[in-house]
Amino acid sequence: MNTMDSLERELLVLICRTCNLQDVDMDRIKLNDPLIGPDSPLGIDSLDALEIAVTVQQEYGVRLNSEQTSRVVLQTLATLADHIRNHRQQG
Amino acid sequence: MEYEPTFPHRQSAHCESGVVANLIRQRGIEISEAMAFGIGRGLFFGYFPFIRINGLPLVTYRSVAGQIIRQFSRLPGFTLQRQTFRDRDRAMGELDAVLAAGHPVGLQTGVFWLPYFPRALRFHFNAHNLVVYGKQGEDYLVSDPVFPAPVRCAAPDLARARFASGALAPRGKMYYFAATPEHFDCRPHLRSGIRGVCRAMLGSRFPLIGTRGIRFLAGRLERWPARLGRERAILHLGHVVRMQEEIGTGGAGFRFMFAAFLQESAEMLREQLLQDSSAALVAAGDLWRDFAAMATRICKERTRPGDSYDELAGLLRSCADREESVFRTLNRWAG
Repeated sequence: MNTMDSLERELLVLICRTCNLQDVDMDRIKLNDPLIGPDSPLGIDSLDALEIAVTVQQEYGVRLNSEQTSRVVLQTLATLADHIRNHRQQG
Repeated sequence: MEYEPTFPHRQSAHCESGVVANLIRQRGIEISEAMAFGIGRGLFFGYFPFIRINGLPLVTYRSVAGQIIRQFSRLPGFTLQRQTFRDRDRAMGELDAVLAAGHPVGLQTGVFWLPYFPRALRFHFNAHNLVVYGKQGEDYLVSDPVFPAPVRCAAPDLARARFASGALAPRGKMYYFAATPEHFDCRPHLRSGIRGVCRAMLGSRFPLIGTRGIRFLAGRLERWPARLGRERAILHLGHVVRMQEEIGTGGAGFRFMFAAFLQESAEMLREQLLQDSSAALVAAGDLWRDFAAMATRICKERTRPGDSYDELAGLLRSCADREESVFRTLNRWAG
């Protein structure tokens, strides 16, 4: 079951817009699907990840400073949303 | 029940600084990865069009492989044992002997042959560092700093990774700290780490290195579409971004890590100038990331108004200007 909160949904839309993904069936994307790499249903790679990191910083004021942070945070929509919730106030 | 040795594994942003920090922590000295990166003079820039990787020019945003380890081996109280081998069996035998003596061992390996890497992430890079801290049966216990937790690797696979062939072939290279100081005070080494990076970034007469190298790349990059044609220009551009090695940070990661080192140093020395330089380097890192994001849009053919090779070259020149300003300030401070 796909129980996506509004932030997760918002992030999915943002990612699709940033990476110019036009034929994604958003209702089929699950919270814990891999976001980046060959198993990602969105088919996005490390170059796309970079643009997502920049866009997240611009839109939410949350930085992804290191590869470690990015690797962990950009695992799934759920981890990205959690990171933003936890760091938004500090941004 | 079989005894399983433990190791203070901590995931890191960069394998060499991560391995050095983990090996030192195992000796009872608390040190962050950023501190190991800074004292080890890890930050650099070089553009070498005459060295080709997959037919594309070498761009590097960090110091040469092995520099951080070498730098620590020169510090008072640190004794680093290093060996390379011609013979695979001898190399594995020596690894077992050093492990039996109770020392975790750093290894240089080829990523392509490490089976615990997801297949999609295995590429031909022969300067990947990891720590082996034990052996159970035919499996080695491995602290690979790019993984969140320790992993296992079968002996034949590890042997193959230690003797991968090609550029930067590891030739079985292994190293471990045979001695470390009882108490290690970072403070005397902060200034020399900063000085070393400033010299590399500002002091080279060679125009392909440091801030001059960033400007040289800018000059080359803006001519790529005319010189190489659209397709090859995109290949070159994608390569520049991929060589930045950082998922989601666009190579700015090394700038951010050195900035973290400066911040830690500022706190240790109570030095506002280092704090300000840290903030300025973060700003330079953000600009690198903007460069990488625009380059990605061009490579992926989703450009926005204003995206162009000329704009990219302008961003690179701004990165060079900002970094030059930071390192000139730091250089005056470090003396």
